[in-house]
Amino acid sequence: MSTFVLFAMGTALLGAMLAVSLSNILYAIFGLGLALLGVAGLFLSLGSPFVAAMQVLIYVGGITVAMVFAVMLSFAMGAKTATGVGLWTRLGALIPVGVLAAAVGLGIQNEGLDAVVLDVTEAIPIADMGMALLQQFNLVFETLSVVLLLAIVGAVTIARKPPEEDA
Amino acid sequence: MNLELFVMFSLLLFSVGLYGVLTRRNLIAVLIGVELMLNAASINFMAFGAHHASDPTMGPIFVLFIIGLAAAEVAIALSIVLSVYRVRKAIRVEQLTELKG
Repeated sequence: MSTFVLFAMGTALLGAMLAVSLSNILYAIFGLGLALLGVAGLFLSLGSPFVAAMQVLIYVGGITVAMVFAVMLSFAMGAKTATGVGLWTRLGALIPVGVLAAAVGLGIQNEGLDAVVLDVTEAIPIADMGMALLQQFNLVFETLSVVLLLAIVGAVTIARKPPEEDA
Repeated sequence: MNLELFVMFSLLLFSVGLYGVLTRRNLIAVLIGVELMLNAASINFMAFGAHHASDPTMGPIFVLFIIGLAAAEVAIALSIVLSVYRVRKAIRVEQLTELKG
């Protein structure tokens, strides 16, 4: 199992690196898809195949494809989509991010989390998750449905062509 | 397979996403960085949920909520991108200065 975890982490990290560094935005989106697949593998190894499947369906199958469509609709195809990032911009982002990561990483190391061994033996039953969604977390579940409905209507409203105003 | 491995990896993924948000000048590329950061948070929830949650379904359900909210966020953001492109013919962030005081 541990080999699979390392493989999934490597895939996710490689995909993330590609996603933030490739100058062609279409390739960057494919890198994001690779990273999301790696994260789905991690969810699988943490004992939740249902969430892993949802990650693949919604993220890789939905969000990535929506981004590809947005690129196709908002760039003249064949035109250069992105210019390179200057050295100073890279350095100016790398230094604060590196300092933040080092500080938080040292904090995590002090917590002694490496003594905690995760032994995931069996998957979490989907029936339990369904019951919890409809009993314990029912309010959040319904609120999320309203948020999604509003997002759909809002997205259509914003993206629609403004009506021709003829006098 | 210990907990620190997952938390450290989540930190790494978050840092990569933050770097992307800071360096990219394209609206869709910034959105990609945000998605990476959200996924890093999801990994933390799953790892701690597998560790010692009183209710083992809690971690996965929280991740499901994150996925749902991310889908809504991407839908709105992409429609804004399309709308901006229609008006400005460009989606580079530093060109959007209408709200500057």
